[in-house]
Amino acid sequence: MNIIEVKDLKRIYYAKVGVLRRKVKEVLALDGINFSVSQGELFGLLGPNGAGKTTTVKILTTLLTPTAGQACVLGYDVVREAEQIRPQIGFIFGGERGLYWRLSGYDNLVYFANLYHIPPDVQKKRIPELMELVGLKGRENEKVQGYSRGMKQRLHIARTLLHDPEVLFLDEPTMGLDPVGARELRQAIKNLQTEEKTILLTTHYMFEADSMCQRIAIINHGKIVALDTPTELKNYVQDLSIIEIEVFGIPSEAIQRIQNLDGVDMVSIENQDQKQALHIHSSDGSGIVAPVVSTLQNMGLRIGNVVVREPSLEDAYVRLVGGET
Amino acid sequence: MLSKLRVVWTVFYLYLKQIAIDGFIIFTVIIQPLLVALLAIYMLRDTEGFQAIYVIVGSALTGLWSGTLFFNSFNVQAERWSGCLENIVGSPTHLQTVVLGKALANITISLSSMIFSYPIAAFLFGFKLTIAHPSLFIVSLILTILALMSLGLVIAPIFSLNPGNILWVNAFEFPMYIVGGFLFPVLMLPVWTTPISYILSPYWAARALHATSSGNASLNEVFISWGLIVFLSLIYLYISSWLFRVLLQKSKEKATLGLQ
Repeated sequence: MNIIEVKDLKRIYYAKVGVLRRKVKEVLALDGINFSVSQGELFGLLGPNGAGKTTTVKILTTLLTPTAGQACVLGYDVVREAEQIRPQIGFIFGGERGLYWRLSGYDNLVYFANLYHIPPDVQKKRIPELMELVGLKGRENEKVQGYSRGMKQRLHIARTLLHDPEVLFLDEPTMGLDPVGARELRQAIKNLQTEEKTILLTTHYMFEADSMCQRIAIINHGKIVALDTPTELKNYVQDLSIIEIEVFGIPSEAIQRIQNLDGVDMVSIENQDQKQALHIHSSDGSGIVAPVVSTLQNMGLRIGNVVVREPSLEDAYVRLVGGET
Repeated sequence: MLSKLRVVWTVFYLYLKQIAIDGFIIFTVIIQPLLVALLAIYMLRDTEGFQAIYVIVGSALTGLWSGTLFFNSFNVQAERWSGCLENIVGSPTHLQTVVLGKALANITISLSSMIFSYPIAAFLFGFKLTIAHPSLFIVSLILTILALMSLGLVIAPIFSLNPGNILWVNAFEFPMYIVGGFLFPVLMLPVWTTPISYILSPYWAARALHATSSGNASLNEVFISWGLIVFLSLIYLYISSWLFRVLLQKSKEKATLGLQ
């Protein structure tokens, strides 16, 4: 059974620009997307900033009206039957907002538990359990303003689980968390999946999507450019070899020269303190290594480690969204 | 119904917990009414028929109104700025229920202006303060809470429909002191202002409170004021429900629920 159904979903934002001569500018955030999520599935939505991930989540959580198309959650239409959906879903939008900073963590949960009409006797049992689950036991009576970013994010998780929702929408839940906190949160999400919860997760972290999601939709400029399992998505770039070369102070001219070499599909660069990591996508396998290294050496550049590896989900993502991150 | 009441109570006491120590609130509901009371006593104490209780009740009403206006105009906006508005709208509870709990907390805080105005007149100026009809005064006070709460529920969505509306909030504070008849009877105003006073529930609340505290009006007049407070409050609540529907629809269309 499909818990989430999205058909030809479209959303246009209207923004006023100019001071004296105000004009209305149209921004197409979603351009007729289609997907479905089945019961108990952990479904990932990947895409660069402004691709339409949060817009999709906000429509599905009944907080935004679509311009066209249809979206249903648990069989209910998100526009016409929002009241039936709300008690059965939970959502988190990444970041620290959405909590009452002048109240304690415990009071925040009491507040939201009442908004979800949870009886007081259930609250008394559920809130301490959740505080323990998210690792805030012992800090529950402190004001939220004194919490770290990670603690606030974990409080959001507890808030979302208060009413034991059937469907969870997690919009970049690990954003800003330290590695240990993020790992714990990922484990908590995986545990929820074992309870047959349906989860829609948006993230920027490829390994997160790869290790957690059963299927992933890659969205770019409001369109779904690929939808498959992580393994199948990696097959999109099976023909590629990825060459990673450490260089020191690479000029843009060198990148252009490498890009022009035969067999080079794409070049991207990642700054790493004093050095840069050059990522080269090539369909010529390791045969491209020699001409690339020689090009760099001819320009007098110092080269560090050279690695040829199998393509990852990130490589598939980069190819599909055209190098945007 | 019980769960709705529980929401109102939870919002009420948790919001009260947050605002009780807010400097702006202390100024609006305690210091400002005290200044108004001081000024009014100095201006009016030598006039014929001066009644200290009239000034105390009137200045307390200014605190109640200022609190109602300022708190409710920022009521929804504050939720939006803190990022909590989406969490509220996305829950099974209607936004209006949450705003109601907050409005009640605001009135409770604002009522303290009455408590603080009293010693000014009693101890500083040595006036003997007696309430002519204590039981009727309490009923009038309860109906005043109803009047301001329902008006607050109209104010909240109006000032949230458009971010620019908030710029006008100060413009509504002092005119109500005058057309509401808080510190002097509206009979002193031009005739054309009378219909404005009549459609404002705080005017009828002021009449009821003044009449029952000073004892200078008939019981009939008090009952008429009570009836009109209830009638106008019901109309306000109806308008408020419509405005909240419009606010939520527009916010979802314009994607303004989560704006900072």
